[in-house]
Amino acid sequence: MKRRYLIVALGLALCALAAVGAQDRYNATYTAEGSSLRYFYTPDTTDQRIAANTQDGLVEQDRFGRFVPSLAERWEASPDSKVWTFYLRKGVPWVDSKGQKTKYEITADDFVEGFRYVADPKNGIKNLSRDIRRMIVGLNDYYLDLVDFDAGKIKDKTRDQLLGNFTKVGVKALDTYTIQYTLARPTPYFLSFLVMELFLPVEKEFLDSVGENFGISKENLLFSGAYYISDWQRDKQIVLKANPLYWDAKSVTVKTVSLQKIVDPTITLQMFQRGELSSATLTAEQVKALAGTKWADNVFMAEPSTVTYWFVQNFTSANPEFKAFVNNLNFRKALYYGLDRAKLNELDDPYQPAATLRNTVVPEQAAFDEKGKDYADYPEVKAIRDAGNYYDKAKAQDYFRKALAEVTDGKGTIKGVQPATVDWKPIAELKIDGKLPLQMVYVYLPGATETKRAFLFKAMLEDLFGKENIQVTLAQVIDDIFAEAVEPRRFDMLHDNFRFGFADPSAQLGRLVTKGAVNDGEFSDPEFDKLVDEASQKTVLSERFKIFSKAEALFIDRCYVYPWRMGGASYMLSKVVPFTYPRGGFGITRFKYKGMIVQKDPLTSKQYEELKKAFYEEMNKATAK
Amino acid sequence: MLSYILKRLGQSLITVAIVIITVFLLLRLMPKSGYFTREDYVNMDESARTAYLRSLGVMDDPVTQFVRFAGGVARGNWGRSISVYPKSPVMTIIKEKAPYSLWFGLAALVLSMGLGLTMGVLMARHKDGVFDTFGTIYVTIVRAIPSLIWLFLIQQWVTGLLGWPMVFYEDRPVSWILPTISLALTGIAWYAIWLRRFMVDEENKDYVKFATAKGIPRTRIMRKHVLRNALVPLIQYFPQQVLLTIAGSLLIESIYSIPGMGGLLVNAIRQQDNPLVQALVLLYAVLGIVGVFLGDLLMAAVDPRIKLAGAQGGQE
Repeated sequence: MKRRYLIVALGLALCALAAVGAQDRYNATYTAEGSSLRYFYTPDTTDQRIAANTQDGLVEQDRFGRFVPSLAERWEASPDSKVWTFYLRKGVPWVDSKGQKTKYEITADDFVEGFRYVADPKNGIKNLSRDIRRMIVGLNDYYLDLVDFDAGKIKDKTRDQLLGNFTKVGVKALDTYTIQYTLARPTPYFLSFLVMELFLPVEKEFLDSVGENFGISKENLLFSGAYYISDWQRDKQIVLKANPLYWDAKSVTVKTVSLQKIVDPTITLQMFQRGELSSATLTAEQVKALAGTKWADNVFMAEPSTVTYWFVQNFTSANPEFKAFVNNLNFRKALYYGLDRAKLNELDDPYQPAATLRNTVVPEQAAFDEKGKDYADYPEVKAIRDAGNYYDKAKAQDYFRKALAEVTDGKGTIKGVQPATVDWKPIAELKIDGKLPLQMVYVYLPGATETKRAFLFKAMLEDLFGKENIQVTLAQVIDDIFAEAVEPRRFDMLHDNFRFGFADPSAQLGRLVTKGAVNDGEFSDPEFDKLVDEASQKTVLSERFKIFSKAEALFIDRCYVYPWRMGGASYMLSKVVPFTYPRGGFGITRFKYKGMIVQKDPLTSKQYEELKKAFYEEMNKATAK
Repeated sequence: MLSYILKRLGQSLITVAIVIITVFLLLRLMPKSGYFTREDYVNMDESARTAYLRSLGVMDDPVTQFVRFAGGVARGNWGRSISVYPKSPVMTIIKEKAPYSLWFGLAALVLSMGLGLTMGVLMARHKDGVFDTFGTIYVTIVRAIPSLIWLFLIQQWVTGLLGWPMVFYEDRPVSWILPTISLALTGIAWYAIWLRRFMVDEENKDYVKFATAKGIPRTRIMRKHVLRNALVPLIQYFPQQVLLTIAGSLLIESIYSIPGMGGLLVNAIRQQDNPLVQALVLLYAVLGIVGVFLGDLLMAAVDPRIKLAGAQGGQE
């Protein structure tokens, strides 16, 4: 079955190649310089793109987002999903920055060494989250011992002795080509962690030889991926060339990738129009400017990402008026139905504002059960997803009236609230009188769009519920909404976004429980917590997803946050044939250029839509089990 | 003269020490939260954050950090970047980036001086004439309109018209032209307007009137006396301008995608990259002070009336 699809896919690709004249070069831009070439530390997408294309892990995602073999040719998991064993391809060499074979072969030890590097706090790998430290047997203890030693708290042992304890961590090379991970709890979605940079290999002898200089230049690296770095100039360009010794060299259609640092989107657009680039991401203003030009038919909207934007409300606010209201379900429901999401989204997308709304915290196309069914298609969450822009003025006003009846004494005094001053300097300062209108502070980041959105948000609520009932104070932070508003608890509501970490709803729902890592509103719902806990115990994905979907439905119904928009979904001009390269909602392998086809002429929006339709039909067939 | 040089050297060392200690201490007052993003706070617990800060070396007390920094500099080790380009040696970063700023800066300076001084002379010689009018219009436009606007228009129009690359490529010399011209435009205006002003000032002085009365040809007066005297105040800034070209231009390097030093210090401060900030501040402070000092020497060499060793000499 699989083979048949492969043949069909290959056939389609070849037809496309013949029809449009495929290019063997991909020219693109990046706006922010990657911090270094040390591929275990990839704080931004430039780093992630380089890491994904120059290093391979055990598994990767294919163009349908499925986990497929990469340097591991096969794997097996224990029935309880706690022990995962991977069998490596034999004879795959590490190559240097000239694309030449080195004396090193990629072995299981390289994966152990990679993880040893990541787990040493001295190497400053920030992405080693507490969840991952607790997931792998022995890792948290190993890591914390080293932390304590570095802080001077352990004096009876040497650092080398503690490093020797890595043998107790559940990452082991059983033989030259077999690596085994032992996990502390059942993790049926473990493969989705392996597409992260943390699980990449490194050659020990080479690492020891370069020491602190590892990754500071292309010469201080070895490559295991589809490309090697042939040229790297800080703050200027990165050129990748196809690795001739790559285990899957036949799939590498683009032979040279050239990435240039161009900060200004206007220059990027001009360069695309002059034929110097293979793709360009457009701003909303650029899309407007291209309307009516010969390029208008080439503009299309790319796929959304798994990043979700939501409005956070502070359940423990120091503003007693808002605290009284937000802890009332009818008030939250009034906001839920009162926020016109499509209208708010017009600021980012004036053309199809309803197309990129997302009503759930767990994105679609990110977590699939053992039968290939998307979590987002489970009935409880599908109903929420399908509701689209559920803005309903009458319902919102009705809920607001109920809230007023419950929270106030009917004469405009908010029950249990005394006059006070809310000191949130330097962001805001409020004098509250415990009477209507309810005063609330909406905190937002600087920038034209966020500022416009803040004003729209204020106007929307004050018009809908009346200025005599609600008054929104806008407060802008300088740079960092977390450091300036969330952590010091200086907000009633704010707008934030979160990416999705791995292929399980717990990636989002698990950190929204009481005291969860992204529970910025500090709400607590024992019923929700219990459902999340119950779901997390299940090892069969469909059983797990069923309970998670109930938990999410309850979470949305009680309006703890207001998810409303997808990330990504940018307007683009491109010569890259869509859906020919890997995709996924997390990790780095989705950034691989492997399989990518670049055509001679820019895509038209019609061509994009046709390819998209064909792709989804193909994917639905391919992923159905 | 020697005592003057030694005195200036002593003053310079004290100035550099004050600058570097102030910057060093200010950096230590920055909040540690600046080393973490929103995502980091989600992923890392307190122990991981502390461990990360320790790996950067910012958890040690400021005295230890200063001794480490000063000792490193004395040994020629400027440390490694901690957040802008983590682990990269600071000197490697500067060595990679400085030549771009330096070469573009020097080329632009030559162009600015060549065209600016010529324009200044023509404007002064033909005061209120055509050259002066056009020169004044040019200077007014360059100084009055925000540079971003005309820099951007030059990039868009000229590259479009001539089919040149929009950004800088090391292996395509044609792409070097526009950034150099763009860098020079304000310099041309600066040299032109100041030289014109100083020349006009000189022309009104008695010795010029006397020379004219003596029948010395105007060309000779302008070349031998007026120009030479008018150049004195300008020449004082020349060494500083040459040396500080290394700092690059944030705007022009950004729009032409030149991997120079422009913006590096701003980035380093924003990301609290202490070793990088310290190294750059030290470098710029030393170059600035050396520039002023050389400017004084040069001025004294050009104008024999200036005596540096005297009580009134030198640019303080």
